[in-house]
Formats: sequence, C-alpha cells, structure tokens
Amino acid sequence: MKNAPIRLRRALICMLLLLFMPGCGDQRILEKLGFVQASSYDLGENGQLEVTITMPKADQNAGQRRDVLSLMARTGKEARVKLTRESNLQLVSGQLRNSLFGMSLARKGLLKHLDTFQRDPSISPRVKLSVVRGNAKSMLERNYPNQPIISRYIEGLLQKESMGQNIPVSTLYTFIRDYYDDGIDPVMPVLRNKSDNIIIDGIALFRGDKYIAEIPADDGMVFSFLRGSFKLGELSIHLSEGEPGGDTVMITSIVSKRKVRVSRSAEGAPEITIQVRLKGTVIEYTGGLSLDRPAEKHTLEKQIDKELVKEANEMIAFMQKHKTDAIGIGIAVRNHMSYGAWKQMKWPEMYPTVKVKCNFHFEIMNAGKVVE
Amino acid sequence: MSTLQSSEKLSPYHIVILVYMTQFGVIIFSLPQLLSKAFGTNGWVMNLIFAIIVIVNMLLIGAAYWMGKGKSIFVILERAMPRIMLYPLYLFLMFVWSVLGCLVAKEYVLIFQMIAFPTTHPMFFKIALDLLVFWLMIQGIYNISKSITMLFYLTIWMLPVVCFFYADFSWSRLTPFFFREGQPSPVEFVNIFASYLGYELILMVFPYTDKKSKLIKSSIIGSLLLAFIYTYLCIITFGFFSLRQLQRMAFPLLDLMAYIKFPFIERVENLFFGAFLFTTVATVVMYLWSAQETALQVFKRANVKLVAGVLVIFAYVIAFIPDTLSDVQHWLGLFAQLEIGIAFILPLLLVVVLAFTKNKKEAAS
Repeated sequence: MKNAPIRLRRALICMLLLLFMPGCGDQRILEKLGFVQASSYDLGENGQLEVTITMPKADQNAGQRRDVLSLMARTGKEARVKLTRESNLQLVSGQLRNSLFGMSLARKGLLKHLDTFQRDPSISPRVKLSVVRGNAKSMLERNYPNQPIISRYIEGLLQKESMGQNIPVSTLYTFIRDYYDDGIDPVMPVLRNKSDNIIIDGIALFRGDKYIAEIPADDGMVFSFLRGSFKLGELSIHLSEGEPGGDTVMITSIVSKRKVRVSRSAEGAPEITIQVRLKGTVIEYTGGLSLDRPAEKHTLEKQIDKELVKEANEMIAFMQKHKTDAIGIGIAVRNHMSYGAWKQMKWPEMYPTVKVKCNFHFEIMNAGKVVE
Repeated sequence: MSTLQSSEKLSPYHIVILVYMTQFGVIIFSLPQLLSKAFGTNGWVMNLIFAIIVIVNMLLIGAAYWMGKGKSIFVILERAMPRIMLYPLYLFLMFVWSVLGCLVAKEYVLIFQMIAFPTTHPMFFKIALDLLVFWLMIQGIYNISKSITMLFYLTIWMLPVVCFFYADFSWSRLTPFFFREGQPSPVEFVNIFASYLGYELILMVFPYTDKKSKLIKSSIIGSLLLAFIYTYLCIITFGFFSLRQLQRMAFPLLDLMAYIKFPFIERVENLFFGAFLFTTVATVVMYLWSAQETALQVFKRANVKLVAGVLVIFAYVIAFIPDTLSDVQHWLGLFAQLEIGIAFILPLLLVVVLAFTKNKKEAAS
C-alpha cells in the first residue's frame, strides 16, 4: 500500500506522456504554416484551372502583408501541391474563409471543383462561396489600400449583407445542400471590383451547379422575401415608379414571414401562392400621406404591397424563364403530393409553366418620431 | 471471482447510465447516413423500430434473469451441462467480445486520426486508449459503473449544442415521404443495428444486482434514453442536410459539429470529437470486461490483472489487422452479426436451460 502513491504517479506520468507524445508526430509549427485564407478559381486555357490563393505573411515587416500565389493546374489540390513549391511555408486550408469563382468557370459548373471542399476534413463547411464578375484572380491579386486583409474584407462584406438579407447566405454547406435537394437550386452572391473596393453586384442563380442568370443586387430584398422567413432587413421602395416625382419609402426592422400554398387547377396542374407577411418601421417617407391617420397609413401599405407584388411577379417570371428554382417552390410542391405523383411530375420540366401568384401584406408598425 | 470485485450491488441509476453509455458508440457519427442510405426519406423513424427490437430482446434477457432469480449465466449453464462442453461457447464469447471492443476503439482512433493527426500511426493513440481501458476493467463492475457515470456527465453537456442547428433546420427538408429512395438490405440493417448493440452485456451483470437494482427496468430506461437521443440527433441531421447530400456524407455528425461557430472560436469539432472518447471508452471497457468475466470461467485460478492484460494485448494485436476505416467498418458489420446472434440466442438458451432444469427438479420432487 505504501507504494500506491508512487505507482499512481508513474501511471499518471505514463498517461501524460502518451497524451502529449502524438504532438511530436504531426507537428504544426505556426511560423512554418501558410494559412490559406482565400482562394479563387478561374477557367484557364485548355480547360485548365487557374488557382490563386492568398495568405497573411508571418513576417509583417517585409513590406507586403500578404502573399498571393497563382498557377495553372488540373484540380485545386494539384494546385496546392504545386503552390507549396513556390512558398517557404506549408500550405494549410483550415483557415480558408472565402472562395471566389470566375464567371466563366461558374457557367461550366462548380461541383467538380467543390469535391475537395467536401472531402477535406480541414475545410470548414462555413467557407463562403461567391461568383466574381470577370476574373476572380484579379480581384484577389489586387491591393485594397483601405483593406489590407482581403479575405477578412470579403468575409465581413458578405456577412453583413447576408445578415441584412440583401443577399442570401452562400456557404459550402448551403450550396451543396441545395444542389442535392430536388426542389430548389443553389445561389451565390456576385462580386465585382469598383475603384478601390469590392461591391456586391447581384445574386447568381444556378441550375444544378451551373451559373444561369442573375438578379440585380437592388432586388436582393424582394428575393429574400420570396426565399424564406427572416427578421431584420431594410428596404427602400419607389412608389409609382416611372412617373416623375415618385415617392420613396424606406422601411427598416423588417420581419418577414413567407408561406407557400399549393393548390390544383382544374387540369390538375399545381398552382402556387406565395404569401408574404411583412412588418416594419418607416424611417423615411417623401410622399403626401399622413401616416398618423389609419386610413392613409393603410393606403400607403396597399401601395407598398402593390409595388412588391409587381417586383416579385417579374422576378419569378424571370426565374421561370431561366428554369432555375432559386426560391425553392419545388420543395413546397413536393411536400404537397405523394411520392409517386412527385416523381411522375418531373418538376424541372414543369417549373417554367407553373402558375405562381404572389401576395404581400405589409403592416407599418410605426412611422418614426414624426407626427403629421 | 476476482478479489477486486466489490460485493456492493448496482443501483438502478448506475444501470441506466451504464446501458446508455455502453450502447452509445462511434457509429452515431455515421448513423444518419446509414439510415438515409438504407431507408431514404425520413429514415430516422427506423430508430423507433430498432428501439422496439432492443426492448423485445431486453425482455427475453429479463425472462432469463427472472427465471434464474438473478444467478450468473455461467452458474445457470454449468448446472445444466458439463463445463467441458461449455468451453467452446465461452471461448467464442470471449473472442467476439474482445474483438468487438477492439474494433470500436480502432474506429474511433481512425476517425480521430483523419481529422486531427493524419500521419501519426493510429495504433499509437490506441495504446493510450487501451491503457485506460485496462485500468478500468480490472476495477470490477461496480467501480466501472461509477466511472462510466462520471464519463456520462463529461459528455452529456454536448447535447444542448444541438440548438445551434435550429436556425438552419427545416421541417420541409424532411419531406412528407417515408422510406423512399433508400436501398434497404439485411446487411445495412445489421450495420445500423450495430449502433444499438451493447445492451446485451447486461447478461453479464446478473450476479452484481439484486431486487433493488431493478435490472431489466433500468436497462430498458437506459436504452430508451439512447433511442431518444439517437432519434433527436437523426431528425436534426435529416432536416439540416438534404437527403442526397446526407446519403453521400461519411460522417454527417462530424460535419454538423464542424458547422458550430462560437464568437470566440471556430472549428470546434476536434474538441467535441475528443469528448466522444469517453463514450467510446465506456463501450470498449464493457466489452472487454465481459470477455474478462468469461475468461475467468475458463481459467478459474488466473489472476484478474493477467487475464485483463492478455485480453487487452490480444485486442491490440487484432486491431493491427484491419488498417483502413472501411476495413474496420466491414469487420464491425461482420462481428455485429455474430453479436446480434449472441444477443438473442444466449438468453433463449438460458430460458430453455432454466425451463428444463425446473421441470427436472419438479419431476424429482
């Protein structure tokens, strides 16, 4: 019994040794690692892939704060192997935050290039994916005087805009999820350079994994209303657009609830009604109605509803024309019928001809600090 | 029996946790994928069917327990037939249980290696795990159950983390269809049922319980707890990923954990996966302890530590053979088939033996 504490200590030392010794096997020394924070993929010559990566420099006195490496390869991982030869650091993808795809590559399909993203356990499912108008490499290569760390800049930009519902969230997880789901198509934001900055230019619509069409960024909020329910959003609407001196309403703190109803026409084809209920606060109004009076407030609500319905109908017609179901109408249709009927319907073929009706019901919660 | 065995009996509380922890294993990482592949849409519902099968099996074990009045299964068997005839059965049980223990450990180690230490030899990690298992299994079931209760509390805190997925969870992704687009097969069924195995080891704890232990009732509660947690995790996974996406993910639960992002830390799946070591240890300890109990029937005078040491080394050596993840999973499937056989046939054999000896006794009196 006297030896018990000694034995225990020995056992403990043994355990600790075993616990820490694996660290000697797979060493990861911070100074010797190149943390790839953003990568871009473009279609190169002869169907090759032009891969560019950017990573922060450990030695920040060297002038430039980041390294940008680029080359042609057949696949993303082959590029990584080759790129390692250009760098004194071991490249790792655990800190990858953004991946950009050139427009021409997106048109050809992205799934093949996303295989490694799904397979490699070190890559986070939260990596943000975007399409770049033009060449993605040049966006990544460029220096942004106000934004020394480009990956953080793009990540912040996308994060903020998707929080405000101006663009949909597009991560590796959402893209793959929607690609494999049978009633919805994936989407991504479209980025472009604007002088010394990057700007979100639109929402890329995909059919399968191929870029098909685009919705302008200004219509992002209406797209969000149609795609799902959310809280927190801002919207600026021009009422009686086209006429000179049309009024403008700015609505904030929007809470949106979407419901999709499916009914059958006399011929048995599905008819879809998208019902969106909105609540929000008016923080700017340039029109003549007095928002204190219930009747006039109601008139404004009706005007907003009408404008939103118009925009939504145009957007849905546009998506139907391009055969991309980015708002997931198919999911609602699928969930309203039997499995046999759903499979028989061949939704992708049926989708462009389906009748879709939009209803908006906007409620002004308050009209700010002004009483008229 | 071992000199280290405590004479204290197991309490219902400890049995509930013991059964839950023995059943909860590494297969949970691939369970949603296995279900989606075999049963397709809403495959999570099958968890309820598996739970029912477990309960039926548990009642069968209960019949042996009640008829034998809580006597050890070895006592029951040895009363009915000569020991020499039972040796092949004992050796078979020993073999299956120790190999199952080692395969579960190896699978955990291989996944761990994949996500954290790709070039370190996996058997290096297994030494650490096996040492822990060895120290636990020589303590006797009473102390094992107390340790496992502690391990339970070291892992159960992870459950509320599932709330993270509510935002991206969608009921509509579950679809209203049941069991479509799957490819059910008996092999898949067995592979999935393997994630429920472990409950049958209560056969070995008969002599360490008394009436107050409420062995069968507590075990059923333990496996219902497991079925509840499995079902909950599977529903979340089915509503988080789309069906065809889920069908091609090797470890959906790992991907789910990789999605968690705290404001101060990202990529926490390695930390979470580390905590699953505890549930794995519980499963491995129980299998190897059962093998040890059986071995002590064959080698009555052997030292417990020696037997435990030999079994752990045996399991360690066996674990060298299947060296890829798919090999291990294939082996696990094969041994799960044997174990399912044991889970049903062994209690059935006990019931028959008990009925037979009872009749003989009545005839004699």
